[in-house]
Amino acid sequence: MTIPERGGLSRRDYLRAVVAVGGASAISACLDERGEVDVPAGTDDPDSLPARQHAWNEFLETDDDGNVRPPEHHVLVALSLASDPADRDDGDSLTEPAETVEGSLQTLERAYEWSNDGLLFTVGYTPSYFDRFDGELPETVDLPVPEALTDREDPAFDEFDALLHLASDHPEVVLRAEKALFGELETVNGEPIETDLTGVFERLEERRRTGFVGPGLPAEHTDVDGVPDSVPEEAPFFMGFRSGFRESQATEDRVTIRDGPFAGGATQQLSSLDVQLDVWFEQESHAQRVMKTFSPDHDEDQVGEVGEALETSNGLTDEQIDDTEADARNRGVVGHAQKAARAREDGEQIILRRDFNTVDGDAPGTHFLSLQREMDDFLAVREAMTGADLDVGISQNNGIRSYIFVGRRGNYLLPPRSRRALPTPRPD
Amino acid sequence: MDRRIDRRHFLVQAGAAAGAVAVAGCTLEVEDETADGSGDPTLPQFYEIQDKPDAVYLPTHREAMEMLEPVEAGEYTLAPMLSYVHPFWIISGDEIEREEPDDGNGVHLMIVVWDTETGVVLPIDSGTQLRVTKDGERIGSPRTLWTMISQQMGFHFGDNVPLADDGTYTAELTIPPLDVRTTGELEGKFAETETASFEFEYDAAFRNEIPARVEYLDREEWGEPGALEPMRHGGDMENGGHNDSDDEDAGHVQFSALPPAEEYPGIGLEPSSGADAATSGDAVFVTRLLESGSRFVEGGERYLLVSPRTPYNRVPLADMAMTATVSGGETDSAVALEQTIDGEYGIHYGAALAGVEPGSTVTIEIDSFPQVARHQGYDTAFFDMPPVELMVPDSIDS
Repeated sequence: MTIPERGGLSRRDYLRAVVAVGGASAISACLDERGEVDVPAGTDDPDSLPARQHAWNEFLETDDDGNVRPPEHHVLVALSLASDPADRDDGDSLTEPAETVEGSLQTLERAYEWSNDGLLFTVGYTPSYFDRFDGELPETVDLPVPEALTDREDPAFDEFDALLHLASDHPEVVLRAEKALFGELETVNGEPIETDLTGVFERLEERRRTGFVGPGLPAEHTDVDGVPDSVPEEAPFFMGFRSGFRESQATEDRVTIRDGPFAGGATQQLSSLDVQLDVWFEQESHAQRVMKTFSPDHDEDQVGEVGEALETSNGLTDEQIDDTEADARNRGVVGHAQKAARAREDGEQIILRRDFNTVDGDAPGTHFLSLQREMDDFLAVREAMTGADLDVGISQNNGIRSYIFVGRRGNYLLPPRSRRALPTPRPD
Repeated sequence: MDRRIDRRHFLVQAGAAAGAVAVAGCTLEVEDETADGSGDPTLPQFYEIQDKPDAVYLPTHREAMEMLEPVEAGEYTLAPMLSYVHPFWIISGDEIEREEPDDGNGVHLMIVVWDTETGVVLPIDSGTQLRVTKDGERIGSPRTLWTMISQQMGFHFGDNVPLADDGTYTAELTIPPLDVRTTGELEGKFAETETASFEFEYDAAFRNEIPARVEYLDREEWGEPGALEPMRHGGDMENGGHNDSDDEDAGHVQFSALPPAEEYPGIGLEPSSGADAATSGDAVFVTRLLESGSRFVEGGERYLLVSPRTPYNRVPLADMAMTATVSGGETDSAVALEQTIDGEYGIHYGAALAGVEPGSTVTIEIDSFPQVARHQGYDTAFFDMPPVELMVPDSIDS
């Protein structure tokens, strides 16, 4: 890929395209476009950072309703170990490369403030990574291999070793962080780079993914085939509505592993989806989209054009959630949120969504990234959301499931920060 | 029920196409859609009829289409057909929306799917997916085809698929397992995901020739109760599981007509109203009580078979939800009817029924009307569906 012509692209569109391309020319393109932005520096004291890699919420801004606002730009870097440490003695041979990984990540933490204005990141490890070791993950970690979850999907699986998730409001920050980790820069935000991941990890270019989220960003991609002009101007997500409401998200505490050597970690599920927007926006009415996204009781007055009238929750009542089955049968249509909410525990959501939009492959999609304590929590929500148990007349009226097409799925362990560098399944 | 039918108001163009015609006491406002910005001269004129009856009615025209060679996939045969993009109606709950093609670029793609062995058309929605490519490049996002009914085509899967360029396209269809009870010759079938693909040409010849074959009905007939005859595709039009296998000519397409009432077994339940046939929302309900020992019930109970279909063409009304209540016996009992596809009687809704006696009343409550998308002529029927009240005749064994 090459840096696109600025041409008729909007500024945001151009920057999105630049993040998707990556590399040095991308950074200079960002800088040409924006000028050098003053990004706050990080910390020399690693202990001042949270023990959880996924502790992002308190470092993010909130919207007017107090909902956490995710960073705007995202890169998911797929990593493969350059040489297999398990070929030698379990554990010992990892010491040196693990120090390299930890040193590289600490460089980023020195360079950038842990915030949306700086850089937030996690590194997660797949079941395939852990497979090479003799021992098995403890029972306190529920990390199955990814699989197809409905008979409507036939995804490919993330079977590489690790995934780095970089996120910032500044596109050049995610790009520079990636380059810094792979020996392509000498300094990053003024911080000298002494160690990097080269030699330990290789990047899998074809598995690199990018994305964006925030009001107005989806509507700036109508140049992409499959993104109709009718995507609402202020929508933060391609499907046209706000999500991630405070009361509709699990807390970070809820998704954190409590016991065992990986206490303070979480599991991460990543599904890369195609999204059918032409039919969604060009054929369905707004009233139909509202019903299918929330519930058949929801209407435009309650939701607003893009969900702006909903403040801190998706507005579902316990009664509406309980009525899902009856709505399917008697009204012939159920809402996505209504269905998924059936998996709540004591009224609380059990997964924390950190999904974002993408135009990877020049087509609209979603990288549906979720955090949960156990992968079983995700499976429960996904099963409730699929709604195979519901007696809905036609697929298109069963929430939004007819509009999403799962292409890839990966499961990961996000260890606590202290064990994020090449963990063995049974540390200590 | 609150019906909110989208009646987009189009500008009225001067000339023969515009105006208001009074026919048989109802007013037809004839309006010209090309004034609504479509502006593509290769599309036929789509007229919207105002004040349509709440019943099956004659549309303005017969659609024209190109038949492609049927393809086999696992247990299925799929017959693809291509037409110009055209309006249809989609339904979610009580929200009805008329799909209005933006411009004339693309095709209205239709697929009829049947069980190869028995010829039974499968009017069941399992979320059939379509992926289109051209020269190996993907065109648009994947889509889930709508289930649709039309007077000429019967039940089919379809959608308007926008295409920007001329050339040879490949359509790949994925049919997930059918989530429906299977009985008779179809028992245990349709449990695998199957994939089929076919190629088609999209070019100026297509855009010019197909729309030119549209036949308009006399304006006096538009909106009148009635239905167009099913399209004849050179094959057996009946689908009750009796595939005349000597008829193997190319282009043979099954039409999804259910068998006529007299071909069903068991005892017919009689409408309490005294009418000849049970109807609701202009749908005809064939209802039969099968004596114990039928192949549909494992235990000793009778089987209630309910087969709703369109009037005139006997097109199955699939993906409904219904509950039957028997009263007049020892206790009132309500039972949900299960959608079932049978090798002999096609799609129907059924349940084992206890406590039925001569003189009992069986009430069939329509919990949700057919959410299937509609072509013109079916867009105002099968919405307001009051319960169907039936009497068990004295001729059954008590």
